[in-house]
Amino acid sequence: MKKLYTIPAAFLASSLFLTGCAGFQTGNNNDSSAENEEGKVVLDFWTFWGSEIRRPVIEKIITDFNESQDEIEVQHTYLPWGDIWTKELAAIAAGDPPDVVINDINATALRGEQNQAMNLSEFLAEDDISDQFYPELWDATLYEGDSYGIPFNTDTRVLFYNKDAFEEAGLDPEQPPTTWDELEEYAAKLDVKNGDDYERIGFYPLWGINYDVWMLNANGHNFINEDNEVLIDTETNLETLEWLKGWQDKYGDDVINSYKAQIDSQQGNPFFNGSLGMYVSAPTFYTQIRDYADDLNFGVAKLPEMEPGNGHTSWGGGFVAEIPAGASNPEASYEFIKYLTGAEAQEYWAVQNFDNVANIEAAESAAQSDEFTEDGTMVYSMATEYMSDTLLTPVPVSAPDFMGSVNPKIDEVFLGSKTPKQALEEAQADVESLVEKNTRE
Amino acid sequence: MAKTKSAMRRKETMYGYIFVMPWIVGFLAFTAGPLLFSLFASFTNYNITSQMDFVGAENYQGLFTEDGLFWTSLWNTLYYVLFSVPLTTIGAIFLSALLNQDVPGIRVFRTLYYLPAVLSGVGVYLLWMQLLDPGTGMINLILGWFGIDGPNWLFDPAWTKPSLIFMKLWSVGGAMLLYLASMQGVSKTLYEAAEIDGANTFRQFFHITLPMITPVIFFDVVTSLIGGFQIFQEAYVMSSNGEGGPANSLLFYNLYMWRQAFENFNMGYAMAMSWILFIIVFILTMINLKLAPRWVHYEGGDNR
Repeated sequence: MKKLYTIPAAFLASSLFLTGCAGFQTGNNNDSSAENEEGKVVLDFWTFWGSEIRRPVIEKIITDFNESQDEIEVQHTYLPWGDIWTKELAAIAAGDPPDVVINDINATALRGEQNQAMNLSEFLAEDDISDQFYPELWDATLYEGDSYGIPFNTDTRVLFYNKDAFEEAGLDPEQPPTTWDELEEYAAKLDVKNGDDYERIGFYPLWGINYDVWMLNANGHNFINEDNEVLIDTETNLETLEWLKGWQDKYGDDVINSYKAQIDSQQGNPFFNGSLGMYVSAPTFYTQIRDYADDLNFGVAKLPEMEPGNGHTSWGGGFVAEIPAGASNPEASYEFIKYLTGAEAQEYWAVQNFDNVANIEAAESAAQSDEFTEDGTMVYSMATEYMSDTLLTPVPVSAPDFMGSVNPKIDEVFLGSKTPKQALEEAQADVESLVEKNTRE
Repeated sequence: MAKTKSAMRRKETMYGYIFVMPWIVGFLAFTAGPLLFSLFASFTNYNITSQMDFVGAENYQGLFTEDGLFWTSLWNTLYYVLFSVPLTTIGAIFLSALLNQDVPGIRVFRTLYYLPAVLSGVGVYLLWMQLLDPGTGMINLILGWFGIDGPNWLFDPAWTKPSLIFMKLWSVGGAMLLYLASMQGVSKTLYEAAEIDGANTFRQFFHITLPMITPVIFFDVVTSLIGGFQIFQEAYVMSSNGEGGPANSLLFYNLYMWRQAFENFNMGYAMAMSWILFIIVFILTMINLKLAPRWVHYEGGDNR
């Protein structure tokens, strides 16, 4: 008689074992909207800021917010850079997402289209905060006119140059190059050659940034426009690519690769010891100069323009704070996002991290902060002013990964297996068919 | 008497099922379930969060007829498998033959050669990226001592896949251990008899050792073939900005699939890709199994 019970018992045991693993939990019902014992709404806030520099800053902002009111309690969850967005995606699909998450600004529209992020227009209709932010950043968060994330921080690319080296080469240290021609001319003057080896290289355009930033600088617009027109195989891009190729031919791969390895090692960046005259990087590069080469006499300038009047366009990225689709307390989440992207928190973030923030008021008052040194103020205020010339590259919803079709072709130009013309033609054709395929119904 | 015996057998069968039950339930819930779901979703435009409409064979059709990167990634993966599987197999057999010798200190060598198999993951890849650096890396430095101007390794599309294959050869220790164990199991009497008949070391190796370890070779070939098709991390970590560069030379099948799934959110498309890979690997494994009786020798051999 006894044995009759064994099988159901085993079934029961194994299913208990499985539910014990929380394999079948479903979220997204109202019961799961967490409240703590004081009756406060608890929000789960995901970031990838876990470093010893950033983590205390974001946690201070969270504490300040928690103390500033008595209805919402935000908890910070740190997830590594490589994991955070795949985990978020899984959590959204499972119906139990975090309440606020920091995500890439350039793909915000795509997440809006895919219904991964919540449409914020309902909140913005009541309380429009859009004019607090740089317009270029704000526009990057829009999909079909609605916002899906509030800009948090950004960066732009600026030209760092060594003033002592300028003086040595007979150049005016207060007159950095303003056009591509001047850039070439100055670089040639800054070059110091000893036999076959360089003791100093004036400038190489593909360290610190990539070819696409130069094309953006030359064009003043992205590769794919709002009407899904592909603008890769153009006269300007061809000229840019040939210009870049000219630099590669000038210095040669051996020199370029050995310098590149030093740049990648960070502390050994040849800009620090004066063996590189000019270098393009984000403003935070200043913190490396401060830490590794304190007595370097340097200046910052806008990226030179292709030709006079063409514009000094630079490129920036950044992050937004957004509410994942299906989050249980969107009102509370939005309250927190408003604080996070408000002037007070943004200024604190800007000053502590030397990071460009999205809030205009915060960025401008950070530039005046007396916590910066003279050099720091110079770099920061220049970067703040430069935001008006800074473009973002929001991924086109019609072909989110089109750069995956362009990069390999351009690689081949610098490897010498394709001419610039061939590469651009092929990239144009590939991206066109990609867009065509994705927009076809 | 007979009745109690069959009752006992039934009871034992039942106990057997009970003991494997957690596995069966786990398999159905966590392996078979998702597997069937991915088969179904590969015929939809599933994007994980908001849509899942049936689109017929559109994903498959798009892959075969319109997607150049699909073919590039498939070619890269085949190239890698074609070279890495035979080379690592031969390398592991060679190494274990060496380490099967009776010389003083052999244990130290065995440990040393096995060590790379213990290390794994991203740390090793970063280490190799430094070793392979064309300007400052140790490999080109040493090649330079012999007057060889080393290649650009991870920066030259012609050398990126060979670089990864070299890296894999460095860590053949795991397979080596299997071969070594199996070589130690080969009966000494066979060698003694061969020696009396006048066979030299090479003939002994090819006519005794090799046939006796064929079951392990077979196992190694099948598993490393499957593993080879799954290559992902190496390319993700070691290629420029994780995209499979330079010039798409490290765009392996799984890397492209990952990009489609988690960067473009074309999950249905990525699932179609995974089924194509599954079918390729399945066919190759079937061929392997069919060919096995021709060359795999099992001791006690009733031709199985």
